[in-house]
Amino acid sequence: MNSKVMNTPEETTDQKRCCTFLIENTCFAVEADNVTEVVQRGVINNVPLASPAISGLLNLRGRIVPAIDLRLFLEFPTVPPSIKQISLIVDVNNEWYCFLVDKLLDVKAYDPRQVTPPTNNSSSVLEGVLPDTDQLIHFLSPEKILKNLLDIRTESQSVG
Amino acid sequence: MADNEEFISEFLIEASENLDQLDQDLVALEKNPHDPDRLASIFRTIHTIKGTCGFFGFTKLSNLSHHGEHLLGLLRDGKLHFDEQLASLLLELVDAIRTFLSAIESTGKEGDGAFPDLCQKLDATCLLANDAPNNQTEERLPSPSSSANQSDQPDDRTVSAPEERPVASTTSNDPTEADKLTPEVSHDILSRSESTRSSNTFDATIRVDVQLLDTIVDLVGELVLARNQLRTTATDEPALLDAVNRIHTVTGELQEVAMKTRMAPIDQLFNKFPRIVRDVAAACDKKVNLHIDGSDTELDRTLIEKIRDPLTHLIRNAIDHGIESKDMRSVTGKSTSGEISLRAFQESGQVTIEVSDDGAGISVDAVCKKAVEKGLVTDDAASTMSDERIFQFIFEPGFSTANAVTDISGRGVGMDVVRTNIESIGGTIDISSQRGVGTVVRVRIPLTLAIIPALIISSGGERLAIPQPYIQELVALRKNSTSHMIDGLEGAPVLRLRDRLIPVVYLDRWLGLRDWKKRPTSGTVVVVKVDNHEFGLVVDAVTTSENQHNHATETTGLWFIVVKSISSLLSPMGIYSGATVMGDGSVVLILDLRGITMAADIPALTRRAGDLQSTSEEPREVVQESSRYLVCETHNGHRVAVPLNQVQRLENFLESEIDPAADACFVKRNGELTQLIDPDRILHTSEELGKEPNGSSLVGIILPNELGNKALSVRRIIDVETGHGPLEKTATKRGLLGTLLVGGSATEVMDIVAASQWSEEIPLS
Repeated sequence: MNSKVMNTPEETTDQKRCCTFLIENTCFAVEADNVTEVVQRGVINNVPLASPAISGLLNLRGRIVPAIDLRLFLEFPTVPPSIKQISLIVDVNNEWYCFLVDKLLDVKAYDPRQVTPPTNNSSSVLEGVLPDTDQLIHFLSPEKILKNLLDIRTESQSVG
Repeated sequence: MADNEEFISEFLIEASENLDQLDQDLVALEKNPHDPDRLASIFRTIHTIKGTCGFFGFTKLSNLSHHGEHLLGLLRDGKLHFDEQLASLLLELVDAIRTFLSAIESTGKEGDGAFPDLCQKLDATCLLANDAPNNQTEERLPSPSSSANQSDQPDDRTVSAPEERPVASTTSNDPTEADKLTPEVSHDILSRSESTRSSNTFDATIRVDVQLLDTIVDLVGELVLARNQLRTTATDEPALLDAVNRIHTVTGELQEVAMKTRMAPIDQLFNKFPRIVRDVAAACDKKVNLHIDGSDTELDRTLIEKIRDPLTHLIRNAIDHGIESKDMRSVTGKSTSGEISLRAFQESGQVTIEVSDDGAGISVDAVCKKAVEKGLVTDDAASTMSDERIFQFIFEPGFSTANAVTDISGRGVGMDVVRTNIESIGGTIDISSQRGVGTVVRVRIPLTLAIIPALIISSGGERLAIPQPYIQELVALRKNSTSHMIDGLEGAPVLRLRDRLIPVVYLDRWLGLRDWKKRPTSGTVVVVKVDNHEFGLVVDAVTTSENQHNHATETTGLWFIVVKSISSLLSPMGIYSGATVMGDGSVVLILDLRGITMAADIPALTRRAGDLQSTSEEPREVVQESSRYLVCETHNGHRVAVPLNQVQRLENFLESEIDPAADACFVKRNGELTQLIDPDRILHTSEELGKEPNGSSLVGIILPNELGNKALSVRRIIDVETGHGPLEKTATKRGLLGTLLVGGSATEVMDIVAASQWSEEIPLS
C-alpha cells in the first residue's frame, strides 16, 4: 500500500481514506487509495464455469477486468432489478478488478487504529469494523476476497 | 544550437540503424564475398557516417570512418579480397563507430577514444592491397605485426589526433582530400544503391515515439466505448444516424489500425543474431551455422525488447556449451560446423521461440549431481524426477555445470537471469536435451498483446474464440444428414468422419451453458488437434463477420484478434488462455484447448488398432487385434463387437439353466461350471429395449481357455463383420477396447482380457 506516502498535508495523524458503499443496507468499505474509478455497471460478459460470484469480464477502455458481485460473494440475496449496481474498480497488485456494489456512499478519512479487527475469523475477508455515526463500517480486503475466490476453485476442483 | 542537437539525434538514430544493417551485410558478405550490392550498401553507410560527422565536426569519428571507407573502396575495386579476417576488422570498425555514437549520445562529444590500433590495422590492410594488388587470394591481415606496431606506439593518446597519423601512404591527413581520391567510384556506388533502395520498404516507414502510439491505442479504446453509447441513443434523426454509422465504421478501423501499431516482427531482434553468432563462434573457435525461421512472427514491440537479452544469452550458451569443438564433432561423426536454429512461431496465442543446437546435449546426471551438491534437492527426490524437471535446476542462481569458465559463459550467472527476465513478462522457459544429439531451449512468451488468427464460435448464447493453429477442419452437422453423424455411448460420443472416429465434446454442455434438451439439432463440429490428441468441439455456429465492420476475411472466417491476458483469478481454471475485445466492445474468451484436452480427458491418438494399450496393466497372452468381429446384441439391446479370434465357440442356453451361485452367474457346461459375464454390467449400459421375458434363450460366447472357464452372455448374435479403419479409443472404461466402424456403424469393441479379469474382481449378480 502506498497510503503512507499519500498523506495529504492537513492530515496530522496516520489517517487513511476509505470508500464506503452499501450492500443490502449494510455498510462496507475498502481502502480508497486502490480504488481507481467508480462507474455504472456496464456490459459484463459471462465466464462459463467460473465461480458464481464472478459475474464475468468487463471491458474497461480495452482493459479486461474481472467483475466480482459482492452480493453473491458475501452471500446476500441476488440483486433485485430495482438496483442499478455500481462498479468499483480496484487495483490489486497492478491487476484491476471490478467489485459490484449496490450504492456508493462516500469517501471518508478514518484512523486505521480505530478499526477493530474481527473478533472471530468467521469471515476471512473482513479486515475489521469501524463504528460510524449511525452504523458500523465493515472493512473488506480485496486481496483476501481474491484469495478466497481462488481457494474456492481449488477446493471444488479437487473434489471434482 | 537546438536545431543542431535535433539533427545530431536524428543522425544518431539513423546511424545506429545503418550500423545494424552493416552487421548483417558484413556477415552475409562473408558467406558470399562477391555481392556488389552488399558492398555498395556497406560503402554507402560508412560514407554517410563520415560525411555527417565531418559536418558536425566529429573529427575523430570522421577520421576513423575515412580509414574504413578507404579500405572498402579497395575491396570494391577488387584490390582486396574479402575474407574472414577482413570481416572481423570491419566489424571491429562498426563496433568502434558504435562506441563513438554512444559517447555522442550521452555526452554530446565524441569522447577520447580514437582507436589508433584500429586505424592502423585498417591502413595496414590497405597497404597490403597496394603492395600486392594482383595477388588477391594470398592477402592476409598481418595481425602479429599489427599488434607489434601497437606495442611500438609510444603513447596511444598522442597519436589519437588524425593529423599525427604516421601511416599515410594512401590516406591523406585531410579527409576532404581523401574524398577527391575516390570521387567517381563513390558516386557510382551511391547512385546504384540509391536506385535499389527506392523500392525498399524502408522508405515507407517513419519513426514515432512508442508512447505516443500507446496513447493512441488507449484513446481509441475510449472512443470505441463512446461510439457504442452514441449508437444506442441516436436512432431517430436519419442524418444523425448516418453520421453515427460512419463514426462506427471509422472507429472500428481506427481501433484495428491502432492495435497493429503495437506489433512488430521479431525480425528486428533476429537480425542481430547472425553477427552475434559469428563473433561468439569465432571466439570459441567453432564453426556454427545459424538458421532463422519465423522471423515474420509478430509480437508486441515492448516484448521484443524484453527478450533480447535472454535470447542472446541462450544463443551464446548454445555455442559455447552446446556445440562441441571441431575435433570433438569429427570424432563423434558430426559435421565440423555446428547448427543452431532459432525459430519463432505463434501457438495458441503464445509466441514460442526455440533455440536449438545439434551439440553435445546436457547430461541429466551432471545436473542432478550438481543440484544435490548445491542442496537444491535430495538424492532420493531427484531420482524420481523427470528429465525436464531436473533441467529446470539449470535456472537456479549460481548453477553451472561448465567445467571451465570462459569469457562467454560458464560463470553460473545468467540462466537464472534469463528465467527471471522471461518470467517477468509472464513467459515460461524449458529445456529438453538429448545427450549427444542436442539441446532445445523453448521460451514461451504469453499472449499479451499478440495478435492471433482465431475462429469465433457461438455456443449456447456465448461467443468464444478458438485459436486457428489447432483447428483441423470444420464439419457441419445437419438434422437429416447421415454423412456426418455423432454416435456412441452417452458420455463418450464420437464423430464419424470419413473412415475415422473422433471423440467429440459438446461445448455447451461441457461449459454448462444451457439445458441439454434445448440444444439445436444442427451445428458445427470444430475438429481440433492438440499435440497428439484430436477431438471435435460441437458448437452452434461459426461467426464469420461482425455486422458493420468486417474483421474477418469472408472466405476463411478467420479473425485476427488481439489477445489480452485474463486475470490471475481466471487463468488457473485452465479453460481460457486469454480474452479479446471485439469490435462492439464485448469481451470474448479464448479457449485453452490444451487445458480442455486435459479436463475433458481426451485420449491420445493411436495410429493403428494394434498400438492400443488397454487400461488393464496385466500382460497380454491373447492377441487382441483382429480384423473380423463378432457383432452381438447385449441383453439391454446394445451393439458390441468381440474380436473373432477370441471366440472359442458359441453356445445357446436357456435363462432357466443359469445358476446364480456365490454372487456370480454360472452355467453348467460339459459337467463344469462356466462363469457368465454380462457385457451390460461392464459397460454400464442402461436398459434400452427392456429384457426379454424369463425362459428365453441367450447366447454364451465361450472365451479362450487361457482366460478361465468363462463366457460372455449376450441376447443374440447379429453377424460376423469386418472392422474398418483404426480403432478409436473413445472411452477409458475398463473392459472396452474402443470404438470401431463395424458393419457400417460405430460399435464398441470388448476388451475380452480386461472383461474376464473384471469379472473376477466384481461379482456379477
